[in-house]
Amino acid sequence: PGAGAALRPCSSRVAQDGINKPVIDRIIRVDHAGEYGANRIYAGQMAVLGRSSVGPVIQQMWNQEKNHLKKFSELMVAYRVRPTVLLPFWNIAGFVLGAGSALLGKKAAMACTVAVEESISEHYNNQIRALIEEDPEKYKELLQVIKQFRDEEQEHHDIGLEHDAEATPAYSVLKTAIQLGCKAAIFLSERI
Amino acid sequence: VRCQQYPPLRALQASAVLSGASDEHKKDSWASSSQQHFESPPAGHQPEEKSQGPHPSYTGQGGQESEDYESEEQLQHRILTAALEFVPEHGWTAEAIAEGAKTLGLSVAAAGLFHSDGSELILHFVSECNSKLSELLKKEQKLVQLGEAEKKPIDEFLRDAVETRLRMLIPYIEKWPQALSVLLLPRNIPSSLSLLTSMIDDIWHYAGDQSTDFNWYTRRAVLTAIYNTTELVMMQDSSPGFEDTWRFLENRVADAMTMSNTATQVQSTGEAVVQGLMGAAVTVSN
Repeated sequence: PGAGAALRPCSSRVAQDGINKPVIDRIIRVDHAGEYGANRIYAGQMAVLGRSSVGPVIQQMWNQEKNHLKKFSELMVAYRVRPTVLLPFWNIAGFVLGAGSALLGKKAAMACTVAVEESISEHYNNQIRALIEEDPEKYKELLQVIKQFRDEEQEHHDIGLEHDAEATPAYSVLKTAIQLGCKAAIFLSERI
Repeated sequence: VRCQQYPPLRALQASAVLSGASDEHKKDSWASSSQQHFESPPAGHQPEEKSQGPHPSYTGQGGQESEDYESEEQLQHRILTAALEFVPEHGWTAEAIAEGAKTLGLSVAAAGLFHSDGSELILHFVSECNSKLSELLKKEQKLVQLGEAEKKPIDEFLRDAVETRLRMLIPYIEKWPQALSVLLLPRNIPSSLSLLTSMIDDIWHYAGDQSTDFNWYTRRAVLTAIYNTTELVMMQDSSPGFEDTWRFLENRVADAMTMSNTATQVQSTGEAVVQGLMGAAVTVSN
């Protein structure tokens, strides 16, 4: 009733002793924010291009992002991590980016996908490096998850390229701008 | 369970007190402000300091010392715990800490290890209460998981958790307003805020909150407001058994539930309206 669907008997908890809480906190918070943003970007793209020829492709990538978000939400509860305050902002910004790039055309939407997925892959690689430096055994499960997601984001990146992302007019300008935005989003979500 | 340990203040002064065991006058100068309340410290009350052998190290927080040598943090912890007994009489002051130190067989000058406004004592007390609350909530959760207890509805859970936590203040209620004002000193705000937020987070965690969106913040903000206002009401409450306070708490929790119900209803109504409009638009365009 009333208090919302997010109340269930609290069961799934990870043992909190021995892990580097501040580092894990950041990692999970920013990854959750990232997947949430990616979801909203694809939602925006589908809103415009849903009935076009690239609709099914975007839908498939969106479904995978939904799974990623679900996984990070579970990890967030298990590790008792606080979500970023900026979620409502990423909600709108993501949708606007997706819809905006889609309005510029199918190729532009693909360019947006390429830019974002490249940023995310690089970001995941950094995290994998950091975790391996800390303690690969202790964080085995988390490492597995991030590695798998990184591979899937890389796939999205390649799909974007296959669909003529690079043929977009002003491709490099668009890509640089979007990637700067991603860097800023990552920086902020880690901290607030 | 996350225990909040606030950093021990004045570590360097502590070592000076502990290692300069033979020099009474040196120690006297640390606690000069409270000296007027004591006679000269009783002779022979040095066993703790002397028996510690070579000067204490602050690097080891448990790993590098031998079994019978306690770390500075542990010593401070023990002194503060012993001091709580004297708070109803002396308030959150150096006197209470001195009395506590005396019961442990330490010199009253050990009170010089701490600030004279009782900050550490109060923060220690809050931290201990929060740990106790976490333990109780954890036990309750185990019982529910084992099927030996009923799972409480959310409003009852929150009400009970806040009441349990506030009841821990009852033995110290006379002096608690003083403690609240000390907790609001700029110097103490980071620690007291962190203790408060982790306590509220603990309560929600054991209540079963699994939100990963902005609700995470809304819920904690609402519960913090409920806790703080109820605490203030309790300070002014003179009814038998604080029944006015518990009734106030019940009403505030009920308000919060209503608010969240209304919010959900508004949202679903809004969604239904949007769907209706979309349907109408599609119909018209066909």
